[in-house]
Amino acid sequence: MDEEYDAIVLGTGLKECILSGMLSVSGKKVLHIDRNQYYGGDCASITPLEELFARYKSPPPGEQYGRGRDWNVDLIPKFLMANGLLVKLLIHTGVTRYLEFKSVEGSYVYKGGKISKVPVDQKEALASDLMGMFEKRRFRNFLVFVQDVKEDDPRTWKDLDPTNTTTQQLYTKFGLDKNTQDFTGHALALYRDDDYLNEPAMTTIKRIKLYSDSLARYGKSPYLYPMYGLGELPQGFARLSAIYGGTYMLDKPVDEIVLENGRVVGIRSGNEVAKCKQVYCDPSYVPDRVKKVGQVIRCICLMDHPIPNTKDALSTQIIIPQKQVNRRSDIYVSQVSYTHQVAAKGWFIAMVSTTVETSNPEEEIKPGLDLLGPITNKFVTVSDYFEPTDLGGESGIFISESYDATTHFETTCLDVLNIFKRGTGEEFDFSKVKHELGDEEQ
Amino acid sequence: MASVKAPQQKVILCGEYGVGKSSLFRRYAFNTFVSSNNRKSTLGLDHFNKEYNFKGKNIKLQLWDTGGMERVASITSSYYKFAEAAILVFSLDNPASFHILSQHLLDIVTYAENAKIFLCGNKSDLVTQAPQVTDADMDNFCEQCHNLISVTYKTSCKTGEGVEEMFADIAQHLVTSNRSRIELQQLTEDDNQQQQNSFKVSLPEESLEPPCLC
Repeated sequence: MDEEYDAIVLGTGLKECILSGMLSVSGKKVLHIDRNQYYGGDCASITPLEELFARYKSPPPGEQYGRGRDWNVDLIPKFLMANGLLVKLLIHTGVTRYLEFKSVEGSYVYKGGKISKVPVDQKEALASDLMGMFEKRRFRNFLVFVQDVKEDDPRTWKDLDPTNTTTQQLYTKFGLDKNTQDFTGHALALYRDDDYLNEPAMTTIKRIKLYSDSLARYGKSPYLYPMYGLGELPQGFARLSAIYGGTYMLDKPVDEIVLENGRVVGIRSGNEVAKCKQVYCDPSYVPDRVKKVGQVIRCICLMDHPIPNTKDALSTQIIIPQKQVNRRSDIYVSQVSYTHQVAAKGWFIAMVSTTVETSNPEEEIKPGLDLLGPITNKFVTVSDYFEPTDLGGESGIFISESYDATTHFETTCLDVLNIFKRGTGEEFDFSKVKHELGDEEQ
Repeated sequence: MASVKAPQQKVILCGEYGVGKSSLFRRYAFNTFVSSNNRKSTLGLDHFNKEYNFKGKNIKLQLWDTGGMERVASITSSYYKFAEAAILVFSLDNPASFHILSQHLLDIVTYAENAKIFLCGNKSDLVTQAPQVTDADMDNFCEQCHNLISVTYKTSCKTGEGVEEMFADIAQHLVTSNRSRIELQQLTEDDNQQQQNSFKVSLPEESLEPPCLC
C-alpha cells in the first residue's frame, strides 16, 4: 500500500467500480479500497440470508426460507434498460462477459387501484384497458410520431419543433388527456415527478424511444436483471480494473484523507499512507464534503408467491405514478425471484421504494405494499441522499451522488461519466478498451 | 434440441499469490513461459477458450485467471459463479501454499458448489530429493476433503511438463460428467417450461441505425 498511485478509489459501490475500471483502462495506476469485507457497498447483494436478517437486527430466519446461501438480496432495487447506458458500458468495456442476464417479464402501471400492462406499441395501445376508445387513437398517433422523430432530421418533426416546445405542449398537440400524460411521462419516459412537463419535448421523446428500443432488444419488457443479483455488477467492473492493473484491498479502514494546501496527496489507514494525485469516493468517505438533499425509502419484502395480477410473472416492475396516489414523486415496485438465483426455490423478493415526502415514510409506500399480497417478512431502510458540495476542481476529490430512487441505472451512469470528465478533463473514450483479453465471444 | 456448438465449460484457477496460476494460464493459452523477474504480475490475463475432443465429443474449456485479485485476499465471489471446474494450485516447493488450500476449497464449495475440483502441484522442476510436499500429503488432503477432489496433477510451467496433459484430462472428465448433467438439465427444463434461460448482452445484430443517405 505504501506506494504512489494516480488515483485511489474509496468504496466498491457500482459507481466507484465503474470509475475504477475506466481509470485503469485509461492507463492510470489505481488503488481501490473498501472498509467492508465485501464488494459492492450499498450495491451489494447480501448473502447468506442470515446476514440480511442480522443486518436488520432481526432474529435468524426460520427453516421455511430454505438454504441461506441460496439468497442474494439487493439493498437498492434497480433494473438495467436493455438499450441504456449501463448496457453500453458493459459491452464496450467487455464486462458483459462476466455476467448473465434475464429479461424482466412484466412492466405494469397503476391506475385507479389496479395495475395494467404498460402499452408500448400501437397494437398494445389499442388493446390496453388504460384508455377509452378515442383516447387510444390519439395515443396511437402520438406513439407513431415519437417513433418517427429523428433528432438530427427536422423533416421528421412534422410541424412541431421538439427542441423548442415543452412536453406539455407536445401532449396538448396530440390531445392526450391527463391520465394518458401520466402513464406516458412516468411509465414510458420514466420521470420521477412532473417537472418534466416544462422540459423540451425532445428529451421526453428520447426517453420514450429508450424505453421502446430497450423493449425491442430482448422482448417482454425493456428491463434486464443479472443472475445472482445486482451485486455482480460492481464485481464485474472491479475485475476489469484488476485485469488492467488495479490493486484491490477490502476490509481496510480509511482513517484520513491527507491534504496539502487544500489538495489531496494521499490517504491514511492506520500507520500506512498511500500517496495519490486524486481520490474518487462515495459520500460515506467524505461526510464533510457532501450535503443531504433528501431521503429515499426502500422496503425489501420476502414472499412465497409472485405479485398478484401479474400473470405469475417471475420478475416484474410496477410504477405507481405520483398523481394516482396524491404524491409528488412516483412509487416503484420491483420483483425478482428464485429463477435469478437471488432466493431459495419458490421464493420471491419484492422491493417498494420512493423518494420520501413526509415524516412518516412507511405510510407513503403503503399503496405499493398493498399490491403485493401476503408478505412473509419485510425490512425497511430510510437512507439519506447526498450530493457533493466539493466538485473536486481544487481538492482533487471526486465524489459520487447517493443512489436515487429511479428504477434503472441511467442516472447512475450519467453521474459516473460526469465524474470521469471532472476528474480527467476528458470524455471517456470507449475505443481505449482493447478487446484483446483472451478469447472474444462469437 | 441437439446443439452443434461444443459446450463451453468455465474452469477457474484458485490458490495463493505466486504459485503459478498465471503461468499455467500462459502455458495453456499461448504455450509460453515468462520468468517471474520478467513480468508485471497478471496484467491483462482474463480468460481463454480452447477446444478439446474426447471420443468424438467436442468440449470447449474456458480457463479463467484471477486477475491478481488474490494478492490481498479479495477475489470477487462472481469469479466463482458458473464455474464447472476449479483447479486448486499450490507450489510443490512451498508447503505454506499447500496448507492454505482448505481455505480456497471452502470458497469454491461456497460460491461454485457444482464445480468439479482438481488439485495441481506446480513448479515440479524445483522439487529436490526430499520434496517439501509429498504424494502422501496430497493424498491425505484429498481424503480429508471427503473426496471432493477428482484428480491430482503435477506440473511445471517452466518446462511445460504435465500442463497440457492436465487440461486434456480435465476436459475428458468434464465431457464424461457433462453427459449426465445435460440430461438432468433437460429433465428439469421440462419441469418449468415457462422459465427462460439467462443470456449475455451484446451489440444489436443490425448495429446502430442505417446510415443516412442524404
